[in-house]
Amino acid sequence: MKTIEEVDQYVVKDIRDLNESTYVLRFNRGIMEFKPGQHVNIGINEKGEHREYSIYSGTHGDYVEVLIKEVDDGLVSRRLRKLKPGDQLSIRGPFGFFLADAKPASNERLLFVASGTGIAPFHSFMRTFPEADYRLIHGIRNIDEAYDKDHYKESRYFSCTSRGNRGDYNGRLTDYLLEAEEEKAEKVYLCGNSSMIYDAMDILRAQGYRHDQIFTEVYF
Amino acid sequence: MQVLRKVSLKTLGCRLNQYETDALVTSFHKAGYEIAGSEDQADVTVINTCTVTNQSDQKSRHTINHAAAKNKNGLVVVTGCMADNYKEKLEQQEQITYVVENDRKSQIVSLVDSHFAGEITHPDKLDRDRFGFDAVQKSFHTRTSIKIQDGCDNFCTFCIIPSVRGRAISRPVNDVLENVKSVLDNGFKEIVITGVNIGRYEHEGIHFEQLLEKILEVPGDFRVRISSLEPDGFGDDFHKLFAHPKLTPHLHLCLQSGSENILLKMRRMYSVQHFRETIERFRSAIPDFNFTTDIIVGFPGETEEDFKHTLDFAREARFSHIHTFRYSKRTGTRAERMPVQVPGPVMARRSEKIRLLSERSRMEYFESMHGKEQRVLIEKVDENGIASGYGENYIPVKFKTGNREKNRFEQVAIESMVAGEDTYLFATII
Ligand SMILES: Cc1cc2nc3c(=O)[nH]c(=O)nc-3n(C[C@H](O)[C@H](O)[C@H](O)COP(=O)(O)OP(=O)(O)OC[C@H]3O[C@@H](n4cnc5c(N)ncnc54)[C@H](O)[C@@H]3O)c2cc1C
Ligand code: SF4
Repeated sequence: MKTIEEVDQYVVKDIRDLNESTYVLRFNRGIMEFKPGQHVNIGINEKGEHREYSIYSGTHGDYVEVLIKEVDDGLVSRRLRKLKPGDQLSIRGPFGFFLADAKPASNERLLFVASGTGIAPFHSFMRTFPEADYRLIHGIRNIDEAYDKDHYKESRYFSCTSRGNRGDYNGRLTDYLLEAEEEKAEKVYLCGNSSMIYDAMDILRAQGYRHDQIFTEVYF
Repeated sequence: MQVLRKVSLKTLGCRLNQYETDALVTSFHKAGYEIAGSEDQADVTVINTCTVTNQSDQKSRHTINHAAAKNKNGLVVVTGCMADNYKEKLEQQEQITYVVENDRKSQIVSLVDSHFAGEITHPDKLDRDRFGFDAVQKSFHTRTSIKIQDGCDNFCTFCIIPSVRGRAISRPVNDVLENVKSVLDNGFKEIVITGVNIGRYEHEGIHFEQLLEKILEVPGDFRVRISSLEPDGFGDDFHKLFAHPKLTPHLHLCLQSGSENILLKMRRMYSVQHFRETIERFRSAIPDFNFTTDIIVGFPGETEEDFKHTLDFAREARFSHIHTFRYSKRTGTRAERMPVQVPGPVMARRSEKIRLLSERSRMEYFESMHGKEQRVLIEKVDENGIASGYGENYIPVKFKTGNREKNRFEQVAIESMVAGEDTYLFATII
């Protein structure tokens, strides 16, 4: 039988490119238990720099995936992309409470609002609870950032592209929230960069959402 | 006659550290050591350090150096958050005999005992037990803490605590209740519920509020305070628990910033509006409920406008005390990598403004207590028969008494405020 230390060794299984700068990193799950919405801290070695990444995959598989966008001059996001299958990873966690109280109840409609890679926790949720009643609004620059769009039911995923004209809405996510008559949800979850979240929170409050219906996960 | 070995214990930082030191005092005492006064020479000095800001690092280092210089032949044991944060560096210092991480802190007495028995144990070999402390027996205080949890998984972007105190872990309900009963047996009349992030308490389906209810049900004439609490650590009905006569109407609720924008960047799990509604709910049930708070000034990117939001909200919330921290960059935190760090002089100015506001609202709160009753737990009675202690609202009260006994409750009416360096309220017994 393997020891805990052996089971706890994480190695890269696969790196799947989604566009020029974004990729899905898959590693073995080991003994990790996680909930959709949680994140792990990933480093190349135990002593080195680690960064937080929301888990992208559902809870059922024997692997864990994260969705990473390379940041200009970024240390970890660029290094991780250079890894090869079989390379070791240092993983801490899982951590966090985002989506902890989102349960796929039939009478509970959820509104998910993401910018860029902020879609990751919602992908994990959708993979874990395919029957959940949610609507996902994804704010991106170009349509090539509509990561794994075909994994979602067409009626559930909605892209807002701030550049180009191939989104479901051509304009900023916050403009869409202002203009659109989205069906009211029980709870709203926002994930991504803080300025999008800040603006979106204002809009949602003005639309009558109470603070205890709004949950946030800030990446930077 | 055998001469007892003397041990001196020094604490820096938070209430949790203070509690753990008090518990170590009890353990050393039980093991036959004499507790040295603060200026005495000692055979063993234990320094329970803090690393929450640069300033805490400096104070901890200074305390270690001072203790080592004073007790050249004594043992120097360094523990606490600095021991976790800078373990290797501290281990290289010759003046330090042992560096003991937080989760082995409760085992320090056995480490020291072994040392004097000639067995040198490496601290890493000690058991990890974050709740293995003795119930406090001897203390310099009339109240004692009950540790219900340790560690934190929130990872606020400025905070080093999750790295040094580790992952959140909750103490079993029965252990907590046993601890409460034994400190009550030891004569304490006030207990403070303590931990790193107590609102996240969870053990076998029992959450913080349910645990608190169980503690309040323990029989006896005592009261319960809650140490610092995060605004996301309880539900909308929490205020109802305060109808219980044992639960004191005071919360140290950490705000950190009154700007929604900065709260998001700190990755705090509440909004200013949530905080506002919480305070309103409490005050509509208990109008003179006392709120105190922590505020960080100069978080990276904090603009004048953000700071103004903080000032405005702090004014609106009428905190009776604000503990102001100047943002301090901690290695390994997300905020360390954030652009636009706020210059020192700007931080100093903002911190002074908050301090002045805190002073003013403290006076206003104290004045608002005029004519009201308080139940004071007497901590001291001086030679003129003036007793001092805290009322249930956590306000310092003095009054004249013929009974010199301390550690007892007295019902008083507040008559006046005596302003000064340590402003207090003067009262009469009713
Ligand atoms: C809870 C949580 C979950 C996260 N989940 C994901 C995820 O699923 N996918 C993902 O790609 N990232 C995620 N992030 C962000 C991630 O942790 C890193 O910050 C990001 O990968 C950059 O790290 P780096 O070492 O490459 O750059 P660094 O060397 O840390 O930073 C370089 C510069 O880029 C800026 N910067 C940091 N992050 C970003 C960013 N995301 N976009 C633009 N500029 C940035 C910094 O301010 C700095 O100036 C998450 C963050 C948190 C807190
Ligand atoms: S809640 Fe935030 S500030 Fe408090 S200990 Fe945890 S990480 Fe630090």
